[in-house]
Amino acid sequence: MNITNGVNVSVETTCENQIQEITYDGTEIYQPPPTLSETLTRCAARIDFSKTSLDDLKKEDKSAEDDVKDSSQFQPSLWPWDSVRNKLNDALTEICVLSDVISIAKDKRYLVLDPVPEDPDEIKPIVQVYSRKKALGQAAQVLLSGAERLRNSHSEQRNRNVTDFHIELLRLRQNWRLKKVSNAIIGDLSYRTAGSKYGMSGTFEVTKAEDLTDEEAASGTTGSGNNGLPTQSPKTTSSLRVIVPAELQGVAYIKVITQKDQEDLCTANVNLMGHGPNITQQAGVWQKTLEFAQNVLFCKELFSQLAREAIQLQAPIPHVVIGNQIRATLLPGIQLIISLCHSTTFDSSQPGPINDHDHVLEHSLHQLLREVHHKNSHHPFPHPTSGPLGPSKKRMLAGPKAADRESLLEMTKSQTILEQIIAQAQHIFMRKRTQYVLDTLARDVKDPQIVSHWNAMNSPIMSCVKINIVTHGYDTINRTSLVIHVKERSLKCICRDGRVMHLSYEPQELRDLILCQINSHQISCLLNLARCMAWTVLSNSNNLGIGKVEPLGNASSCLLASPNGDRMIAVQIRCDPQIDVKVYIARSPRPDFIPNPLVPEKFWENLGGHFKEVRFDKIEGKSFLNKMEFLMAALTSNSV
Amino acid sequence: MQMTQITNSKELLSTALQSRIIPNQEFLLQGSILDSAVDHLIHRLRGLCDTVDASPEQFHDLEVCLSLRQPTQTAPLMLRVRRALDRDSPFQLRYIGQPELDRSRPTLVRSSIDVGCTSTILDFLTELGCRLDFEYVSRGYIFRKGRMKITVSKIKAVPGKQQEIGSETVSQSYLVELSVLAPNGQDSIGDEMRIFAEQLKPLVQLEKIDYKRLGGLP
Amino acid sequence: MGVTVLLPYQIPEGKTGAQAIDYLTKRLLALGAIHTGQFLVDCETYISTPQHGPAKTVHVLHDSEYPASTFSILDNGAGKQIPLVADNLFDLLMLKMTSVYTSKKQTKIESKGARFEYGDFLIKLGSVTMMENFKGILIEIEYRPCVVLSYCWEMIRETLQGFLGMPIAKEYPAYFSQQIMNTMGQQQIHTKQNEVYEPIDTINQYLESFTNYRKQNVLPVAGGATGGASSAQNAAANMQGGNQRMR
Repeated sequence: MNITNGVNVSVETTCENQIQEITYDGTEIYQPPPTLSETLTRCAARIDFSKTSLDDLKKEDKSAEDDVKDSSQFQPSLWPWDSVRNKLNDALTEICVLSDVISIAKDKRYLVLDPVPEDPDEIKPIVQVYSRKKALGQAAQVLLSGAERLRNSHSEQRNRNVTDFHIELLRLRQNWRLKKVSNAIIGDLSYRTAGSKYGMSGTFEVTKAEDLTDEEAASGTTGSGNNGLPTQSPKTTSSLRVIVPAELQGVAYIKVITQKDQEDLCTANVNLMGHGPNITQQAGVWQKTLEFAQNVLFCKELFSQLAREAIQLQAPIPHVVIGNQIRATLLPGIQLIISLCHSTTFDSSQPGPINDHDHVLEHSLHQLLREVHHKNSHHPFPHPTSGPLGPSKKRMLAGPKAADRESLLEMTKSQTILEQIIAQAQHIFMRKRTQYVLDTLARDVKDPQIVSHWNAMNSPIMSCVKINIVTHGYDTINRTSLVIHVKERSLKCICRDGRVMHLSYEPQELRDLILCQINSHQISCLLNLARCMAWTVLSNSNNLGIGKVEPLGNASSCLLASPNGDRMIAVQIRCDPQIDVKVYIARSPRPDFIPNPLVPEKFWENLGGHFKEVRFDKIEGKSFLNKMEFLMAALTSNSV
Repeated sequence: MQMTQITNSKELLSTALQSRIIPNQEFLLQGSILDSAVDHLIHRLRGLCDTVDASPEQFHDLEVCLSLRQPTQTAPLMLRVRRALDRDSPFQLRYIGQPELDRSRPTLVRSSIDVGCTSTILDFLTELGCRLDFEYVSRGYIFRKGRMKITVSKIKAVPGKQQEIGSETVSQSYLVELSVLAPNGQDSIGDEMRIFAEQLKPLVQLEKIDYKRLGGLP
Repeated sequence: MGVTVLLPYQIPEGKTGAQAIDYLTKRLLALGAIHTGQFLVDCETYISTPQHGPAKTVHVLHDSEYPASTFSILDNGAGKQIPLVADNLFDLLMLKMTSVYTSKKQTKIESKGARFEYGDFLIKLGSVTMMENFKGILIEIEYRPCVVLSYCWEMIRETLQGFLGMPIAKEYPAYFSQQIMNTMGQQQIHTKQNEVYEPIDTINQYLESFTNYRKQNVLPVAGGATGGASSAQNAAANMQGGNQRMR
């Protein structure tokens, strides 16, 4: 009763005066307030005289009602005290009758007054006590059992370190979407909120693990029950249970195999385990269960998406979808096999991932579907905001920037996941093949050295290698370099001189090209070397047109003359199938000239033509250029 | 890409109109929220709308309203030009028709034509004979839920023109608009919007505003 | 996106338009150009009603090469031209303005024909028609790898001479010799041929040519019965004029 804090409440009548009538203009005409005497009259009229005795109640009822009605109508024309007078009159009559009755009863001759017999209610105290005792007993039972349960759960918590259901639910709520449907708690582990449009439902139910004994029994089996995860620590005993639909139970992964004929080139297994922060430590077993189920859902979505695309795509060699397997042809004889593996019963003896585990393809598939999800949920916003919602940023620009037909057509194109993964697999294959060709060539061809530099940064469908061909010790004289862009099904070679060549996926073409480059490298080096040594280049040709016809030219040759012109060297280099060098020398005039009738004068010898083959492999020197240098040096010194 | 038949773009447009693929109707609900409570609304919208993971998209636009007097009609042709101040993007020219009088619809429905165009549009319209009515800056956040667009924006006077900096905000509240652009005949979207507006309810009351009633206001 | 030059073609004596087109098509195909469909550039002109102040003209053009755009050029009657590139829906908006801007249907003009790809060049042979009347031939040639005319005019000229079989003046076409005004109204040092080329430039060239063809329209009406022939002659005369200007 704090007065300072109290609120003053004023009680008022709603309206002081009753409204008598409302005129058409809305003016309310109030009744004049009653005078003092009128108030008194009304109050008097309200006295209910009939309430004095029960016997008279019925008799007086009607008249009293009438009176009340009269007074409520309040007709001022009547005499105001009329009803009161009537009532008092009636009362007088009653009193008179009563006194008469009493006086008659006094004589006891005509009228005798007897007390009315009362029937006593018999109470048995023993019954009452008994029933009360019983009721109290029941109440005590309820309280005791409640206390017992509380004590139990308390001690259980303290002793067995079992986390509280609600705390676990809170943890679950932090990582998963939950909602309450009547009495059940339903969760959703699908990727729908992340942009997935996959129809399969990913709902799971959350329940409380039953009682102690059950739980104890369960805790041993929970591990195997929940996808066979061995329960390492007692912490995994959880008072929370998640029920995952049957089709999401188990372990799933996607296996990618690139197969050449029947031999595996590489395989990749996609499962998302191990992605994201590891929160299983603090969370219960349910975290693992849900993660596994989500992984199953993801793999199923990925596979169904790939299968759908495989059927829709119009490939020259149609893709085949059989059961849980998709087969696509990458290059002739090379197949990509994507299969969905889903095992509901965990088997620890299951063969682990095949050793040739390709992280790139694994990552790509994951990334590609995530990209689709992201695109589904992340649409660009229009700027300014009055623009329509939906068109891409490029399309919004197309009108005002006057995009031409080509770029508009380009906008409508999009690649499916399968197309992209096939392209990536093809590229991986092409890259490996190119590497192999370059490496074997570098190993086999020792003379000019082939050095290849692979760019560390590359895209999933394009990589780049720079090839330098140099001769050891002569790298300042000449250096042949070319760049090869490795694409999905083709190679693009760019030479130093600006020539661009497009090669197919056949490794032989690349081999030929490199051999041809070696060939021309040797010749151009030789030309440079000859100039350094003051020899004259008489002729050279990169395509002699002899021998087997090859896609990129064949044998090349050059003809050199010594500084004073008395000696010549002819060199022919072939590259079919191995590099083969032939060197001839000629001397004119021959030092041992003997005139004969046919060639009478020495000057005829200047015509030359008597080439003799040099046993090149016997010449001193580490490399072709080295040998040639020696040869030229030897021939030059002779002539001085 | 052999193009066998080139058709007149006018014909293309009329066939597009007939096949109802041009979004030329705007469904609109509007409301407002006090500055002090706008954070709650943003929070709620982030939960309800698409793109939960990203922070809400901001925008900063300038809208210029122009009108072209038409000799045969009493009402002038109203045109709006909107441009983004915070990035380089095409200007948006917008025609908004009179709202439909159908009271049974859950949202305001009016015809609208949205045209992206180059920055010469203001000059173009001025030379065309349009008169500048008013202009304002709108700054705030934009959300989307399916095809619904939700903007929460602060209306400001154009700085450096009417008032000095500081007193540029027009009111103490944010304008909240829920709108959908759809082709003719897609009336079900109205109910979808009403349900969404219901979810924002005690925070903001999104209603169909009848501009005729506000017409008397200055 | 490259540089486009639009050239009115002078129809040789004694040949009809269709024959000339046929002749050029054959020459192009013989050079190794590939026929890649049709193209269409149309132009419609709206004129403001007299009660709306001084007469203003809005030309609305479409080019099938830029299918998402509507080009409009506003001529305020005082020598100022404002170009506008917008989405296709701009046409709908023009319809809303019919009480102020009315379309002059009889001046609706278009250039229509075959589109050829020839290496980096895009060549279009358009026959110009107004109200179904043949007006002349417009040749559009685009060199796609470049965006500044002065860098590639020689190459374009060479190609033009190659398939037209007639000499082309060495000077830049008239449209490109105009001085550029910057926003301050001052003349800039370089002319159009050194500017980065934009699609609106193609449209401007078409509008220029269309306007020329429309002007000729007045004469044949005065000439009476020999309308078709004289208009062709006029076109030829005009083209010579154009060529002289180019020289």
